[in-house]
Amino acid sequence: MATFGGWAGKVLRVDLSTGRISTEDTLEKYKDVLGGTGLGYKVLWDEVKPGTKPYDSENKLIFGVGPLAGTGAPSNGRTAITTIYPTCWPKPLVATGHFGGDFACQLKYAGYDGIIIEGKADRPVWLSITDGKVEIKDARHLWGQGIRRTNLDIVQELGPTACVAAIGIAGENLVPMSTIINNVSHSAGGVGSVMGAKNLKAIAVRGSGYVRIAGDKAEWEKVIKHHLALLGSNNQHVVPNSPQPWAEFSHPGVRWVASKGRAWGAAQPPIDSGTCDPHDLNRIAYRTNNAAFYLGNIAWQYTVRGNGCTSCPIRCHTLLRVPYLPEKYGNGITENIQSTCVRLLFGRFFYKSFTDGFLGRTAFDACMVGVYLIDDLGIWDNYGQIQRDFIKIYHEGTIKDKIGEAEFKSYSWDKYAKSDPSFLFDLIPRIARKEGELATVLGKGTGALFGQWGLPEEEWKKDEGLGYWKMGHPQHHSSLEAYQLGAIINTQYNRDVQCHTHQNFLRNGLPIKEQKRLAKDLWGSEDAVDDIGMYTPMNLNKAKMTRWTLLRKELHDSLSLCNWMAPVVASPLKERGYSGDDTLESLLYSIATGEKMTREELDEVGERIFGLHRALTIRDMGTKEMRKEHDTFPDWVFKDRQGRAPFTPGTTHMEKNDLNLGMDMFYNLLGWDKATGSPTEETYKKLKLGYVAEEFEKKGLLP
Amino acid sequence: MTKHQQGGASILTEEEKVSRSIAAMIRDKSREGLLVSMQGIWEESINQAPGADKGVVPEIDLQALLIVRMKEEDDLTAIRNQEGQPRYYSSRFMSENYAKILIRKEGDPLVLIAETVRESSSLASRPVPVAIFLASPFHLSQVEISACLQQMREDRRFQDIRQTATSIGTYFLYSALHLDPDRASMLSEWLDVGQHQNP
Repeated sequence: MATFGGWAGKVLRVDLSTGRISTEDTLEKYKDVLGGTGLGYKVLWDEVKPGTKPYDSENKLIFGVGPLAGTGAPSNGRTAITTIYPTCWPKPLVATGHFGGDFACQLKYAGYDGIIIEGKADRPVWLSITDGKVEIKDARHLWGQGIRRTNLDIVQELGPTACVAAIGIAGENLVPMSTIINNVSHSAGGVGSVMGAKNLKAIAVRGSGYVRIAGDKAEWEKVIKHHLALLGSNNQHVVPNSPQPWAEFSHPGVRWVASKGRAWGAAQPPIDSGTCDPHDLNRIAYRTNNAAFYLGNIAWQYTVRGNGCTSCPIRCHTLLRVPYLPEKYGNGITENIQSTCVRLLFGRFFYKSFTDGFLGRTAFDACMVGVYLIDDLGIWDNYGQIQRDFIKIYHEGTIKDKIGEAEFKSYSWDKYAKSDPSFLFDLIPRIARKEGELATVLGKGTGALFGQWGLPEEEWKKDEGLGYWKMGHPQHHSSLEAYQLGAIINTQYNRDVQCHTHQNFLRNGLPIKEQKRLAKDLWGSEDAVDDIGMYTPMNLNKAKMTRWTLLRKELHDSLSLCNWMAPVVASPLKERGYSGDDTLESLLYSIATGEKMTREELDEVGERIFGLHRALTIRDMGTKEMRKEHDTFPDWVFKDRQGRAPFTPGTTHMEKNDLNLGMDMFYNLLGWDKATGSPTEETYKKLKLGYVAEEFEKKGLLP
Repeated sequence: MTKHQQGGASILTEEEKVSRSIAAMIRDKSREGLLVSMQGIWEESINQAPGADKGVVPEIDLQALLIVRMKEEDDLTAIRNQEGQPRYYSSRFMSENYAKILIRKEGDPLVLIAETVRESSSLASRPVPVAIFLASPFHLSQVEISACLQQMREDRRFQDIRQTATSIGTYFLYSALHLDPDRASMLSEWLDVGQHQNP
């Protein structure tokens, strides 16, 4: 390899059909797209033909990490797993599942920037990677085991520092709504069954190497300390959620929950989370307790600590010890439960209500049962869509209509009606086993409700409460909270957009006046952001922020910086006027790799990666008419439940012409044709994607 | 002059030692989230003064010392309560907003609730969940809060303070002077339900 730091220098290729294991030079083939999602998109573009189905042996599964993975950069634990996605409806297209944990750093320490899995093994296998030694091993004894047992078995063989990414029986059984999980709770959604289709139970990696920092070491240390000093809590929330002595502001909606008197009650001895002055960098890990944030104060007494990813002080996965669970619920449930965010809420989301409320004991237990089941069986929630679908089809009587009487009666509906968490032991394992019509359809994802059961997608598109957007997937931080920006970004991907760039700013907890002041510096005008419940017509600065939002997402997913924390453009520091630093990505990249890049230059790399994703989507859909056929909005976006007009207080109701103007501005800023929503030939060439332009010219896919 | 030079080294006078000790005490208390009164300073200083263990009361004008110290160290700040009594804090460790909450806590709880709600509605466009008054730094009981809200409904000084309930039954307060009822309702629902459904 050249003299670059950051990258390990090799990408591992494993052909499970032939057993051939090889490596290739990262920098020769993939430097222009960094790694992570960029690496995944490039492999799919080069090697996977349009029309390839998710479970075809010709489909590939690319585990990509970036040049910052395994360095000391904060929050660098992300791995992007790109493939032809099995839950994308009606036609499978490119998408990526993401997980944190220690997989990314172990892969780098073993000497690799990615793994390309191709072909299909003729029997269950697992992949063992210990530095340069890569072996395909028999996994017949692991097939049928849960993720926890698989993890334990392999770690006993490879040693405690090995990181195991495994599928559960959902993935084995080709349940599309399945995950790959490492480190107990770090899950990548939607990709488990692609691994299962290749008869690959797990990938275990243990590395003893290191990541070289090419630039000045003192400068690197300085940037890391600067970065740490600007961090807030999870999702870069920069104010506490209750008044703290040091804080000028607080906001009850943020994840910075630490406060004197709120203690990790199951730690021995209990640890008070304290006031957490932002200048005390040794207290960053105490700021976040996502179990307490989502499940309520009940979670504090069971909190052991926060866990998380490599080199991340945030610790957003809360480890809970709940001693009564095994006796109360049986079924092998353990007293230790660890999770974060939407996975933590999996069980609760299945129920419409609880007699003791959403922050009561029953809801808490439902969450514990849910986490236990899905993280062992390897089931994906599709950002809560599986639960919203279930509630709808149950309460409307669709389940009863669509499945046979015997199957219907086999479920403990009496428990469900009473919001009893133990109902989940009845339903969830059946999804993983594809047992019966209901479980099979739920496991296929929302698209199967339309394709297999013939339910009208239009109905989903009309109902804001269902949260459905398009292509079998839900909205994710959309117009409901980010107005035009949220709507536009939700049109761009083939799964939920999984983007937090904008959220890490919009939900940071600062009063709107402060946010607007920062927005002026970042996107040229205070008008780039709106106060919640008071949105204004589209403008160019909103379009600039929208473009920035998506380019940074791809950049983070390709550099291996957590998009649930980055960008860090606001901070908890009053003395900085709460500003963060929009150049952190380029600073880190430049020093780690030794290749100096400005913010603008690195953003152009993000634009290239985003452009390649767009090109893959165009190629595999076989049309350039993206604006009409891909970048669509559900009807509910243009409705207000209370009949309020667009731009009036309290509404999220969007106005069609205004949103069309937004799309025009967005396409224009990216150099995409406004009529079709496809990048122009000049744009591809500008982004060093001339090979795309050449192929599209032949296929008539250029605008 | 508060220092004597002796052999090139600076020796602190008794007054200097005391005033530094007061400043340190104010900063420590601010870190803990507490304001300091003159009475508190006096009690602390007596305990630390030479001869305190023998019952000797120091003859020092503490307030005058503090005023001088505050001119030299600008993080030391005074805020006055409703009766005009000064309370001290260090702006290095305590924000003005937090100090205001503590000052209001010394007075009428109705004003404490109303002013907190008004500030949140005007500065941050946010309704306030009633439950925040149970927690630090407010520490009101459920009974006290209910009584306050009842009294506020009947008191013309607080007619702008309105209540709204979310779909899961959580009560929020807002000031109608600064937030439209529709918007307050939407914001409360978002904070209580929407955000959690969109994690």
